[in-house]
Amino acid sequence: MNKQRSKDYRQRIDKALATPKLQDALHKFGDAFLVARGNAFAKYDFEAMRDEISQMKTSVRENHAELLQQFTQNAEAAGATVYLAKTAEDANNYIAELAKKKGAKLAVKSKSMASEETHLNIALEKAGTKALETDLGEWIIQLAGQRPSHMVMPAIHMFKEEVAELFSKETGKTEQAEIAHLVEVARNQLRQGYLDAEIGITGANIAVAETGGIALVTNEGNARLASTLPKTHVALVGIEKLVPTLEDATKVVRVLPKNATGQPLTSYVTWIRGAVPCDGEEKDLHIVLLDNGRSTLAESPQCQDALNCIRCGACANVCPVYQTVGGHVFGHIYIGAIGIILTAFFHGLENAAEIVRACIGCRSCVAICPSKIDLEEIILSLRETIGEEEGIGAGKDIVFRKVMRNRKLFHGLIRAASVMQKPVTRGESSIRHLPLFFSSLTEWRTLPAVAEKPLRDVILQQEQEVKKPRYRVALFGGCANDFLYPELGLDLVTVMNALDVEVFYPQEQNCCGVPALYSGDKETAIELAKQNIDAMLEGNPDFVLTTCPTCTMALQRDFVEHLKDNPAWAAKAERLAEITVDAAGFVVNQLGAADQFKQLAASEKVTYHDSCHLKRGAGVWKEPRQLIETAGHDLVEMDHADRCCGFGGSYSLTSHPEISKRILGDKLQDIAESGASCVAMDCPGCMMQIRGGLEKQDSKVRAQHTIELLAEALRQKK
Amino acid sequence: MKNLPELKKSFVAAAEVVGAQVVDCKGLKQAVDYLVERVDGSLLCPTFVSGEKNGLADKLKKAGLKVVTEDFRNQAASAQAGITGVNFAMADTGTLALESTAEDIRLATTLPEVHFALLDPAKIYADSLEAVEPLRQLHQRDPRNYIAYITGPSRTADIERVLTIGVHGPKELHILLVPKLSNDPLEM
Repeated sequence: MNKQRSKDYRQRIDKALATPKLQDALHKFGDAFLVARGNAFAKYDFEAMRDEISQMKTSVRENHAELLQQFTQNAEAAGATVYLAKTAEDANNYIAELAKKKGAKLAVKSKSMASEETHLNIALEKAGTKALETDLGEWIIQLAGQRPSHMVMPAIHMFKEEVAELFSKETGKTEQAEIAHLVEVARNQLRQGYLDAEIGITGANIAVAETGGIALVTNEGNARLASTLPKTHVALVGIEKLVPTLEDATKVVRVLPKNATGQPLTSYVTWIRGAVPCDGEEKDLHIVLLDNGRSTLAESPQCQDALNCIRCGACANVCPVYQTVGGHVFGHIYIGAIGIILTAFFHGLENAAEIVRACIGCRSCVAICPSKIDLEEIILSLRETIGEEEGIGAGKDIVFRKVMRNRKLFHGLIRAASVMQKPVTRGESSIRHLPLFFSSLTEWRTLPAVAEKPLRDVILQQEQEVKKPRYRVALFGGCANDFLYPELGLDLVTVMNALDVEVFYPQEQNCCGVPALYSGDKETAIELAKQNIDAMLEGNPDFVLTTCPTCTMALQRDFVEHLKDNPAWAAKAERLAEITVDAAGFVVNQLGAADQFKQLAASEKVTYHDSCHLKRGAGVWKEPRQLIETAGHDLVEMDHADRCCGFGGSYSLTSHPEISKRILGDKLQDIAESGASCVAMDCPGCMMQIRGGLEKQDSKVRAQHTIELLAEALRQKK
Repeated sequence: MKNLPELKKSFVAAAEVVGAQVVDCKGLKQAVDYLVERVDGSLLCPTFVSGEKNGLADKLKKAGLKVVTEDFRNQAASAQAGITGVNFAMADTGTLALESTAEDIRLATTLPEVHFALLDPAKIYADSLEAVEPLRQLHQRDPRNYIAYITGPSRTADIERVLTIGVHGPKELHILLVPKLSNDPLEM
């Protein structure tokens, strides 16, 4: 790994974390966005709309050559000049040459991320043409000499006082930090630019093959001016913006503003085809189609879906990491989840190497993506690529390759740790302080101690009296349940026995492999998948139950994916995936047994935290709530119930503890504001994070697994 | 058959939500009166079919307005307002579609602070998907196009995400609903 690069990245994180005003602004925006977006989609079926877009964009990718040819023919027939630029430099050279030929002193630009991608302004400047940004946010950024921190709202990280200062320098008088006034200043200052400029430069949101035209989706009206007044119009368009027909284009237009800013539609959608009239002549229209890594991306089976992106920026809006550090940390030119992927292909793996680890894996972006891109999965595969290129770090390498793959060694070492930790646990189940340089790990949350005896041992001693079992199920404990919270596994046995289900614990099961996978070590993940498939199928269980949704995703999704091309393993992986189910979902859906807990519990005010991988991975979120309410608790919803708690496994322990801590802080605040005395969840990772945070605050609120609450209710009945 | 009163109702509601002012006019005379009350600077009146048919420029001039009908490149920057027809509209988002290939239509709707749009309510489509039909017909009829979908006045939220009306385009959009102006979406 490149040490200087990592150091710079750490410094950017620290700087962002020292700007609470920025975090506050991004959090407020995130909240307001979800409300506005909800209203904008109120009358529409978002899932159906994104299915359509995803299918359409996928077919565009598959038929790209023909569509590109159709677009080019139609555009040229309408008098446009079309240029296909292989690289950013190629595009810049073409446009700079054109500017020289026109003797252009000034080019007015409307917002174009593609021109940010190619650093077009610098190229124009070198050619003697001043590029004037006219989108308000872009102009602010240009005056400040910065880069956008959001794809749709480039200056979202700046405040009106800073804008007033920049504008004052520009006008030479003191401009008040009042937003309406500042907008008026921009209108007046930029107006002459449209009239003077020889060239207008825009991007395009869509290129329509059917017509050879482009569509611009904008709010301010500057793109209309920039494409009308100057005699030359250059549109810089990524080749992935192609759609076949006007219907397809309309479907994109319908979704884009709703998902980007929560607007039903932008003020302007401008459909431009060909050389339209301009001051008594014909407009000189140049469409520069930009490849710059897009064809390579199209050929990557793991990553190609990223080309379906319509650049709404919603993946950043909902991202807890983005909300904590902003786009100048969590991005390069393109920001947020999609930014990681585009950076790798447009600006090189090197520029993506740090930010690819910044993703916490909560899948909130996947849930909101209008093109249904599995951003998390693509980011994981990039992490793996970077892991292969640069290594994943010597420490992790030994742990994953040498230790975890050898189950007996791995588990032996954890057992040894249980003994060695005694000086710091002081006989308690949580570690409140660690000595010396480990101390930062327990500064903001306690850590659970390794249990004296793991679940795999104690479960053997638990007597199960199920006379006529409905099912025999295997429990996949996962490392946390096994070694940190064995009592959770015993509670699961209690609950299942009460529902006439017998539980057994396959002793050969190992770590699910997610920690290795998330660190970029796929080879270890595959080895662990095989070990677990054999272990879990061996006793021929009716179902395999999980108490950890991240393990659930591994068993249901990852193992199948890892082994789909391996004939010896594919069918077994499929079989395991079919019978794997999370515990709460199993009680409600497979057993239909929620009512068996009716009013058993001593009622408590409980709030529920949705674990990322349970809600957005397994699609389970109603079931635990139903169980908690049926048991007789008073369920109160906290704000942002499905927002990540900041755990993310090694994310919170080693890679990004400082970001994890802030995200946990948000969660603890939401829990406190709910007024509940118990927060329930269905993930031992979340328990570790939230319980640890609550304990460190000396909070009276307890954090429990839903299964623990059910077992408690059964005991209260007796 | 289209449910015109229902479409009109949802169009008006959606347009008002995004800050357009919508006025029900009995006829063109009422629309002219409306302009007289609001315009004291020059008014750009480009050529468009329903305006020509109904002698709009003359009516505006007779009402005492300072009407500009040519040399828009030099006049537009200082004009107070522009008036145009509308090809068709979309109810769900309160959107107007203007075939703006003729440059004067663009100049009249981008540079002045106020835009008055005359819309025959018979030309309201339910939504943008339904309106693909006339959009495509316009593309088939003309070899080159500049077609503008306009939804409310120009806006920004680029400073601290505070919605502010009127950045580079018109600060006001007045939609004047005038029946029997033209029921053809291909003509403005």
